[in-house]
Amino acid sequence: MKPLRKIVTIAALSAALFAAAPAWAGWEPTKPVEIVVAAGAGGASDQMARMMQAAIQKNNLMKAPVVVSLKGGASGAEALMYMKSSEGDPNKVLIAYSLIYMLPLSAKLPFDWHELTPVSVIALDQFVLWDNVAGPKSVKEFIAAAKASGSPFKMGGTGSKREDHVLTMFVELKTGAKFAYLPYKSGGEAATQLVGGHTESNVNNPSENLEVWRAGQVRPLCVFDKERISYTAKVTETQSWHDIPTCKEEGLDVQYLMLRAMFLPGKVTAEQQAFYVDLFQKLIQTPEYKDYMEKQALKPVFLTGKDMLQFLEDDGALNKQLMTEAGFVAK
Amino acid sequence: MEAFGLLLHGFAVLLTWKTLLLMMVGLVLGVFVGVLPGLGGPNGVAILLPLTFTMDPTSAIVMLSCIYWGALFGGAITSILFNIPGEAWSVATTFDGYPMAQQGRAAEALTAAFTSSFIGSLVAVLLITFLAPWISSFALRFGPPEFFAVYLLTFCSFVGLGREDKHKTVISMSLGLLLAGIGMDTVSGQLRMTFGSTDLLRGINFLVAVIGLFGISEILLTMEERLALHGHAASISLRTVLSVWKDLPKYWMTLLRSSVIGCWLGITPGGAIAASFMGYNLAKRFAKDQESFGKGRIEGVFAPETAAHASGTSALLPMLALGIPGSGTAAILLGGLMVWGLNPGPLLFVEHKDFVWGLIASMYLGNVVGLVLVLTTVPIFASILRVPFAAVAPMIVVSCAIGAYAIQNAMFDVWLMLGFGVVGYVFKKIKIPLAPFTLALVLGSRAEDAFRQSMIISGGDMKVFWSNGLVGTITTLAILLLFWPVIDRVVGGLRLRNSAAKVEA
Amino acid sequence: MSNTDIDIQIDVDDPTAPEEDSPAITSNRAVDVAVSLLLLALSVLLGYDNWRTGAAWDATGPEPGYFPFYLSVILGAASLYGLIAAFLSRKEARETFVTRAQARRVMAVFVPTLLFCIAMQYLGLYVASFFLIAGFMRLVGKIAWWKSLLTAFIFSAAMFVTFDLVFDVIMPKGPLEAAFGY
Repeated sequence: MKPLRKIVTIAALSAALFAAAPAWAGWEPTKPVEIVVAAGAGGASDQMARMMQAAIQKNNLMKAPVVVSLKGGASGAEALMYMKSSEGDPNKVLIAYSLIYMLPLSAKLPFDWHELTPVSVIALDQFVLWDNVAGPKSVKEFIAAAKASGSPFKMGGTGSKREDHVLTMFVELKTGAKFAYLPYKSGGEAATQLVGGHTESNVNNPSENLEVWRAGQVRPLCVFDKERISYTAKVTETQSWHDIPTCKEEGLDVQYLMLRAMFLPGKVTAEQQAFYVDLFQKLIQTPEYKDYMEKQALKPVFLTGKDMLQFLEDDGALNKQLMTEAGFVAK
Repeated sequence: MEAFGLLLHGFAVLLTWKTLLLMMVGLVLGVFVGVLPGLGGPNGVAILLPLTFTMDPTSAIVMLSCIYWGALFGGAITSILFNIPGEAWSVATTFDGYPMAQQGRAAEALTAAFTSSFIGSLVAVLLITFLAPWISSFALRFGPPEFFAVYLLTFCSFVGLGREDKHKTVISMSLGLLLAGIGMDTVSGQLRMTFGSTDLLRGINFLVAVIGLFGISEILLTMEERLALHGHAASISLRTVLSVWKDLPKYWMTLLRSSVIGCWLGITPGGAIAASFMGYNLAKRFAKDQESFGKGRIEGVFAPETAAHASGTSALLPMLALGIPGSGTAAILLGGLMVWGLNPGPLLFVEHKDFVWGLIASMYLGNVVGLVLVLTTVPIFASILRVPFAAVAPMIVVSCAIGAYAIQNAMFDVWLMLGFGVVGYVFKKIKIPLAPFTLALVLGSRAEDAFRQSMIISGGDMKVFWSNGLVGTITTLAILLLFWPVIDRVVGGLRLRNSAAKVEA
Repeated sequence: MSNTDIDIQIDVDDPTAPEEDSPAITSNRAVDVAVSLLLLALSVLLGYDNWRTGAAWDATGPEPGYFPFYLSVILGAASLYGLIAAFLSRKEARETFVTRAQARRVMAVFVPTLLFCIAMQYLGLYVASFFLIAGFMRLVGKIAWWKSLLTAFIFSAAMFVTFDLVFDVIMPKGPLEAAFGY
């Protein structure tokens, strides 16, 4: 690894010398940069961090090495507190998602995303309603079966009082069908339990159910967005992401998207922030990133500066409203 | 036959220079940590685990499992030569192994230990090879109630079969369960027992606790024992090896019995410690002259070693197929799997064939290579013990600190490790068993989650634990095990009366 | 056991030091009682916290504090039983927990370990481990200074190369590493 880093360093150095890129003239990290992941190993955030690590190193976007730090303890609260306590340290970037709004509400965590420095929104993640291949074949049949069932249908998801749980509550509200929500530790576990028939459905992200969908063990019923997923390449033998109807088309008017955004700790300088904005700007043009977006069926969105702040404020308010309506705000 | 083809594929995955090299490195490191007092299988694997985070999963698991085989072989060396069991399950090996060494039969005892480890592991690996595909489809039948029943079975087997004072086992287990609950509760999403501390937020890491409980406390105990370790000439000549092997067929019954016990206890997560004692006790019970046990009898080495290794190896099966660790080391490997992004569970066999069969193939290769390696290098490894303990002790402390820190990059964990070191030292001295504590710390929160998920499914009805044949059988078995001492006494009493009646008649 | 077949012998402490007649500091009973009391206190503390979190059984099963609360009760009861058993046990009263000589040896390794953990926060892992190994070898093991320093340096340097340079595991570092730009 040492010689490899040397080569990278030399390559980056010579690039800097000859190209004299003015964008990073101000500041750049000299120590290893930690990508902080607020989830367990193998989860969507972890995979994204590993992709970034690879993309940054392969394309020489930065001299300093990148390490991935897993801080998934307490459903990601560990990562938030870690970022909060690292004030002024420009060598840590957090991959954030909706938990930055939800955890402070549901677990009374003393954290507010305004205390961190926003860098950029890099993607939006979708939610899909899945059921077992042996189950109902469309949303209408699924809802009808759920209503007719003697005991409530079991809906698997990740964590409690989080995205999956909120979505389940809204499906209940819109349809009048009753669900028993089963919180698992990870989306992978929720997927396995659906395959085994221990739950009737789940609302996993595309990436979490990708493998079992390809294995023909689960069926996507609809996607919780205004429009269909844009990727049209075949994922299974017969279907692409684009073939999944939206829930609205199927008569279930529920929409929810989850942000994936990068944050620095609080109190970093404007140059430091600018360096990372520039870094991620370059990152999203790499083939690794584009590949990853398609494979995981993420919605490509890139926001920085004022746009990002506005987006965060709106998104935060929406999440707060949903959490309050669902009754998940701790007193 | 499908298994055979997949296994060949596994060998193909393995047979690259890089993997073979990692394997050798792992084995050597493993024997090294196994011989060093204060380290050992789980500790060695725990300390070296973070190093493999950056490798690809197959290389990482091959290296770790080789460290594990190496440590098992190494643990036998210290048990026999110095009467220091490197692992809890090596304790039974010292009963007859150390007396043999004292009588100048160290070479014989070591050969017996290595050979029987090899046989035990081999039987277990064969079982894994041919049952794994079946087990993985069986595994899909495990929902929350089934998982809870298995956890219950494991806990009950400890309470029922333990040899320590009952209240001390209860203390150890409930303390472990309590500490496992610290942090975020998955089912409700609420924090508990954190007292507002950011460090307690993430809960108490199992690895940190193990490094403290076993590594640090062992150093304290070794210091207390005055470090006067008397070793014995350890050289193995080909002739000794061959003469022990020639006698092997005589002990086929002992070997077979211990292998069966080991595999059974390994798959039903019961633990290799119980297996090694059970193997030893049964060998003694069925022997004609029970008196000679404990005085240097070769069967006293064969029996516990075979059982310990059979269960240590087969414990990997429930870990891979169900995500339930059957032993301490398996629990650490399980943590590793998740780090490499592999979700242990039913689909692991479907989705990561390369990984699974690479691992299984590495068990065959690792064992064969390991056997040859230890048989030829025992004198060299024993000479590590010539290094003054005053140099080895601080190095072990540093290694423990590195291991504890690296897991979560937290200084708090180093303090936690030190605290657990003191706890481990005191608990060992006043005979509070550590095994139930570690077990509870690993399985505690999973068991609770599984129970509460089951309650959500059934709407609070306990009958869910008897809702189908599978879960009902496991739950009933668990309750039987819990009351085993009582049942044993009643059955034993009846039998005694029967035989007395026969004599009279 | 005759001396001739001893191949390897390791002694750290001065082997001529008196051993057998070293007075006992505490009995197993005293430690057992102390541990039981500590566990009892812990169970009360955790029991209270969980009761506050909510230890009831509601519509969807037990609340977050349910299991930990009852576990605290079980731990408390078992510790209480242990406390009484320890008081009544004559056997434990006779067993020595540690003798003075043993306690001194345990402290000889525990205190340096404690200092090492403190130093690790300020000096970083590698410098602290250098001091621990060199100091322990010299002061406890009575090994020559040059051997102690050399061993400590080689070991710490090897750790630094393995962890920080090869495996990218970030360890706590202090002023010395900072001076070299790490």
